[in-house]
Order: sequence, then C-alpha cells, then structure tokens
Amino acid sequence: MELVTLSGICKYYPAFRLNNVSFSLESGKITGFIGRNGAGKTTTIKSMLNLIHTDSGEICYFGVPLIGHETEIKQRIGYSTGTVSWYPRKTIRQIIDVTRCFYPNWDETACHRYMELFSLDERKKPMELSEGMKVKCNLLFALSHGAEVLILDEPTSGLDPFSRDELLELFMQLKENGVTILFSTHITSDLERCADNIIYISHGEIRADCPKTDFMQNYGKSDETLEEIFLRLEREARA
Amino acid sequence: MKALLQKEIRLSASVLSYIFIVAAVMTLIPGYPVLCGAFFVTLGIFHSFQNAREANDIVYSALLPIAKTDVVKGKYLFSVMIEAAAFFIMALLTLLRMTVLSDAHPYIANALMNTNPFFLGMALVIFGLFNLIFIGGFFKTAYKLSPFVTYIIAAFLTIGAAEAVHHIPGLGAFNAFGFEQFPLQMSLLLGGLALYILLTGVSYKIACARFEKIDL
Repeated sequence: MELVTLSGICKYYPAFRLNNVSFSLESGKITGFIGRNGAGKTTTIKSMLNLIHTDSGEICYFGVPLIGHETEIKQRIGYSTGTVSWYPRKTIRQIIDVTRCFYPNWDETACHRYMELFSLDERKKPMELSEGMKVKCNLLFALSHGAEVLILDEPTSGLDPFSRDELLELFMQLKENGVTILFSTHITSDLERCADNIIYISHGEIRADCPKTDFMQNYGKSDETLEEIFLRLEREARA
Repeated sequence: MKALLQKEIRLSASVLSYIFIVAAVMTLIPGYPVLCGAFFVTLGIFHSFQNAREANDIVYSALLPIAKTDVVKGKYLFSVMIEAAAFFIMALLTLLRMTVLSDAHPYIANALMNTNPFFLGMALVIFGLFNLIFIGGFFKTAYKLSPFVTYIIAAFLTIGAAEAVHHIPGLGAFNAFGFEQFPLQMSLLLGGLALYILLTGVSYKIACARFEKIDL
C-alpha cells in the first residue's frame, strides 16, 4: 500500500529546477533517497513538508492531498534532520513540554524510552550537544508522537559508527512495527544495510526508483557496492 | 490557541520582552516624552523576534501540525499580550497621575506631554504601528528584521507629532491635565483603540498572506 505519493512535482529556481519528481513510499518500507549535494533531495523533502511551494504537481499522504489537509497529515508524520538544531538555548525537557501540546498522540513513555536509548539528558540544551547527539535529539521529537511516516533528512550525518548502527537497528525495528521511512543520506552503506527501496535523484530529476535489489542488479556491475554504483552513475552523468 | 501562546512564551520569547514591559513605568517620569515608554515595550518584543529567528522557531513551528497562518497568529498573540500588559500598567499609572498625584508640582509644571487618555490612545497607535510595520514586514521573509528601522522612524515621527499637537491653536485640550477635558480625551483614546485594532487586524491579514507565499 502506498502511503505517500508525489506526482509531477516541479519547482523552479533561477539556478536549479526540480523537474517532474514522482515517486511513492510503500507502507512499512525503508526507502533510501540518494543523490549528491544540490541534486534536489532537500528541495523534495521540503516540498513534502509544505515548507516550500511547488510550481506544479501534487503530494498525497494516506490518500489525501497535503494541501488542504496539512494539519491532520502532520499529526501522522515525523521529520528529522541532522543539520539544524531547534531552540539551542532551551533544555530538551522545555522543548518536549511545549511540543507535546501539539500532538494528542504524544507518547511520553516512548519519549523516555528513546531518551534512554539515545543517552540523552533532558536537562541539556541542544547547544550543549555534539552534532551526533543533536541528530538523536531531533529524532526523539519525530519518534515520540507515533508517526506513521518518518521523513529523515540525513539522520546519520555526524554520528559515530556505533550510534549509526544503533539508529539503523532502530529504523529496522520501526519498520517491523509498520512505520514507513524516507531516509535521505550520503552514507550509502547505511542504505545497503536497511533500505528496501532506492530513489536516486540527479540534477533535480528522479533517475531510479525501484527495490534495492533491482537497483543493484540494473545499475551495478559485478561486485559493486551501492556507493560505487552511485559514484559511477554520477561520474557518467557528468561526462 | 493556548498551545501557540505557550510555545511563544516558553520557547521563542526573549526575557527582554518581559523586562521591557517595565518601560511602561516611564509614564510616571515628568518632563520626559512619555510615549517613548511604548516604543521601548515594542523594542522588547523585537528582541523576541530576533531570538526566534536564531532558534529556528519559524521552521520548527511550520513543521508542527498547525496551519501556516497559526505560526503568524502565535507571534501576534504574543505581541498583543505584551502590549496589553504594558498598556494596563500605563493606564493604571496615568490614573495615578490624574488623581492621587494630580497636585504634584513636577506634573503640574510638566513641559512635555501629560499623561491622560489621549496619551494612552497614542500609545496604542505606537503599538499598532509596530504590529503593522514591523510584524507585517517581518513576515515578508520570516527572517529579515529590517522593517524595524522603518518602524523606528514612524514611531518617533508619531511621538514628535503627539508631543507637538497640543501647541496647535485649538488643540490644547488634548494635553489638558486632570479631568476637565476627559470626554474629549476619552473619545481620542477610543479612536486610538480603534486604530490599534484596525492596524493590527490589517497587519495580521497581510502577514498571513505573505507567510503563505514564502518558501522556508
């Protein structure tokens, strides 16, 4: 079942265009979203969160369009990024106490569980956290309201190998529980481990959207890893 | 609405917004352009916008399960709350100056604007200008604070005009001390209140329309 569908998304900037981006996310699957810097990953994700206006196309969650149903859809989705920290001078507890007021489904037990799992101290402020811990802090907010769809923009960036491993384990557990995950990353080895599907974007256009095994078969040569395939495709596109 | 205001108060507000409410006490300073107190109150609110920008508050709010217009509403609710608190103090102190302290020499010999209902009406106009020019202007980009410069110019021109108006022949009643011109001054206060509501309402509509259009 397709929980999220993007159809013909276009966004024009003077120096960049997102061109006719279409894909869908299957329920209970982890989809890796790969592409080099500036390929259009973040623009696509921002359009999925209605942070930017698309010039054309439609985004639907749970069978209803995002425009016009934003409030109820955002109750059921979670977003996390590894690159921004919110309210750096407030304690994690202060941010949680306010954020939970917006989510009737907020699960304080789950919140405590993830806090323990991530070794987060609720008395700390985001400005006092390392980059990796900031990622975990952002994930905590996304995971504590029982989101059915998680949109993760480079969630493993800045994490040490052990934390990354823990996180990937968590993503697979969430998948087992039926959570749908879109996972944008540069660290393709993470996707090799946990992704079911791969969406490859280059120069604002979707070049591949298929199960990971098909991607490896169709685009890979002999023993190439996902990273090697990705690098070769990018080099070929540039040539 | 409660959650929105709670977010503004607990996460995005600067402590200076609350401290600067104390500027309303400037109402008691004789021989001082008392309307500057209203300006300082808005300077405190400005700090919260600066704080919010640094804390990525706008994007965080836009990601919450609320309408985009609610992000704007939260900012207006907070600003109106601070302005109302300052206005309440100004009104109390104005009443104090007009009654208990009415015989105090410094107030009788006050060379500048007296505190009376006209003063309160003009304070509301200053608040309305802040809402219109600064908050409305801020939501053109949701990060640029430069509309505050335009607001400073407008605020000080208004303060200057309010200080000068009673020198115009026939308008001395605007500055009358005590209750002699109370009905006239009360109608001016109501006029100021109407203007505040109008400026804030128009500004809110403009800010919502602007914020809907921008990409974050």
